[in-house]
Amino acid sequence: MTKNASRTGNAMDRRDFLRLTGAGVAGAALLPACGGFSGESEGSGSGKLIISHGPDTVLAELIPKQLEDFNKQHKGEIEAIFRPMGEDYFDQLRTQFQAGGGDIDVISGDVIWPAQFGANGWIDDLSDKFTEEMQAGFLEGPLGANSYQGAVYGVPWFTDAGMLYYRADLLEKSGFSQPPKTYDELFSMAKKIQADEGLRNGHVYQGSNYEGGVVNGLEYIWAHGGEVLDLSDPTKVIIDSPEAAAGLATQRATVEEGISPEAIVTFTEAESDAAFTNGDAVFMRNWPYVFGIVLAGDVKIKMNQMGVAPLPAGEGGSQGFSTLGGWNLFINSASDKKDEAWELIKFLSSPEAVKFRAIEGSYLSPLKETYDDKEVTSKVPVYPVAAQITDQIKPRPVSEFYGDMTLEMAEEFNNSLKGETSPEDAVATLQESMQSIIDKGTS
Amino acid sequence: MAESARVGTGARPSGGFVLGPLRTLKNEFTDKERRLAYILVTPALVIILAIALFPLLYAIWLSFQEIIINQSSSFVGLQNYAEMLQDPEFHSALRNTTVFTVLSVSLELVVGMAVALALSRVFKGRGIARATALAPWAFPPAIAAVMWRLMFQDQVGGGIVAYLIKSSGIYTHPILGNDAALIGAAVLVDVWKTTPFMALLLLAGLQVIPQDVYEASKVDGASSWQQFWKVTLPLVKPAMLVALLFRTLDAWRVYDLLWVMGNRQLNSLSVYVYNGVKISQLNFSLGNAAAVFVFLSSIAIAFVFIKVLGTRAVE
Repeated sequence: MTKNASRTGNAMDRRDFLRLTGAGVAGAALLPACGGFSGESEGSGSGKLIISHGPDTVLAELIPKQLEDFNKQHKGEIEAIFRPMGEDYFDQLRTQFQAGGGDIDVISGDVIWPAQFGANGWIDDLSDKFTEEMQAGFLEGPLGANSYQGAVYGVPWFTDAGMLYYRADLLEKSGFSQPPKTYDELFSMAKKIQADEGLRNGHVYQGSNYEGGVVNGLEYIWAHGGEVLDLSDPTKVIIDSPEAAAGLATQRATVEEGISPEAIVTFTEAESDAAFTNGDAVFMRNWPYVFGIVLAGDVKIKMNQMGVAPLPAGEGGSQGFSTLGGWNLFINSASDKKDEAWELIKFLSSPEAVKFRAIEGSYLSPLKETYDDKEVTSKVPVYPVAAQITDQIKPRPVSEFYGDMTLEMAEEFNNSLKGETSPEDAVATLQESMQSIIDKGTS
Repeated sequence: MAESARVGTGARPSGGFVLGPLRTLKNEFTDKERRLAYILVTPALVIILAIALFPLLYAIWLSFQEIIINQSSSFVGLQNYAEMLQDPEFHSALRNTTVFTVLSVSLELVVGMAVALALSRVFKGRGIARATALAPWAFPPAIAAVMWRLMFQDQVGGGIVAYLIKSSGIYTHPILGNDAALIGAAVLVDVWKTTPFMALLLLAGLQVIPQDVYEASKVDGASSWQQFWKVTLPLVKPAMLVALLFRTLDAWRVYDLLWVMGNRQLNSLSVYVYNGVKISQLNFSLGNAAAVFVFLSSIAIAFVFIKVLGTRAVE
């Protein structure tokens, strides 16, 4: 699959949590025997600085290139090496943490991990190193996802956001000069174009019972002015509101009014981009990676037929919101090379390094300045659009119990989309189950 | 245990059974040769206990604890079980698993028996037919599930099975979007996949039925129908018990097929255990209690099978 889809779509795999149990201990005991995690083989013993990242074919090529530069700059002092991890990245990290920390110094982690890792003391609070002056250069969304209870646990190194893709050619043909700004407009445009063109789908997105479904559900809730956790008190769930219910109702209406297929309840990124790039849909909500697919040119839709816009606003909401995706750099609490690790983090999140990844891999920068860089905006087509939505990006609820809460949301959002539960019942159920998760965890 | 000791000491009259149990026990240890036998098997027994029994007892002990990551655990008795039994997720897991097990195993038994009967006949190309029939069984469950999921979906390229079901009017909604339809689909895939295994075990049972029994029944004027009910079925019963037991326990702890077919959405007992133990940060105790439940219910199922279908059959 494409790089971005695997970044966000599989977040679920990595978010599961192991406890201090026989399984964890046994797993930790077995790992050195497998050879993969022997602390002596290449880590502390040899004095090399280790950085890890999840499965990402593009970055797997770019990181070593960047490390080469870094190592040249610090010749004789620091030597950094890259350790690519598999789909079970999160499981492996957790096992290492519980076995005493492992040998990775710089950990690249998903935006939904910092609160959980930080609360357990597995990664360092970077407040001393990551000064407010430095933080000022970053976009608020990615920065917010790394902050938890007054501490900042990570430095964003690339970001991701949901966008509304549309068929510019079909909109124009049916007499629309602009993409929709609200869901009402999206519904009426989709219906007219579906009728005009005999298209199968008006709007496709990710509605399946998984992390992507949570992301989409949240975007509908936010667009209607709803919220999940009280922003001033993240131990308080406030999802049971008319606004949140209205959001899920709009999402359900996409199926009821026939602009989204019934099978949307099973759609992930792959099904949505297949429908859109095959010319079967007018609109699609997806991550920036679809640009890469269309640019590669193996699909029916060409760049000049496609447009991208911010996600629409709902009734009662001031604007649409995109869920924040992306990855961040943490320092392992157990690392014995924290100063060197910080040097590497500074290097990888520097404007030059970010720009390199933007141009070579279409990765979205977490730095504000990159969006004004003429070279980037002219070479990477996703940047001009991304620049429009940077103030609309919102992190998912930041809580150390997000891992449990997201399972409940995935289930209820999906039930509501299927029409098996009313939107009101779905948010009421979530209010209760998510609050009891927080209560259970903090008791 | 007594069996192995006896084997070790060669041919001794098994008079122990006649005497009272205490005398027997005493005999076991006063006899020099027997004592040696016990000493010799002790290391093996210790290893077996350590490997088989310890994790089991540990899991049961854990299920009496309330465990939350990075917090101290405490003994809560049966509270985890009480909480589990009240969890709606557990109810759906139990319901799905029961429906899946009953439907898939009964269908597999009927179809498997038909296949076994067909394959036990002598005909040209029987070897090839037997080998081909086994093919679906060779697929790893997760691969089979991915393959069938593609055929059941109606979006990308349009799955063939989804198309057939839709155009025949049996079910017009997306199959993958409805839990009940998904379980039906999973049952079909399981029947496709494991009927050959069932057939193979039954075939082995059919092969050991001596031909002269059939000849004798023919002489007595039995029709083929009567032959099947009065001769084949009673004689194949031992093999059937083994096959049913294997399949039921297998279906009872189904994980991969439902996990992949349902794209993580379909609940089963094993999925419930996994979600609790591996994915959730807070429900480890519930997942662990459910794991013990799966183990105990499996023993209960095995017990019922052996009782109902006859102890002799296993031996």
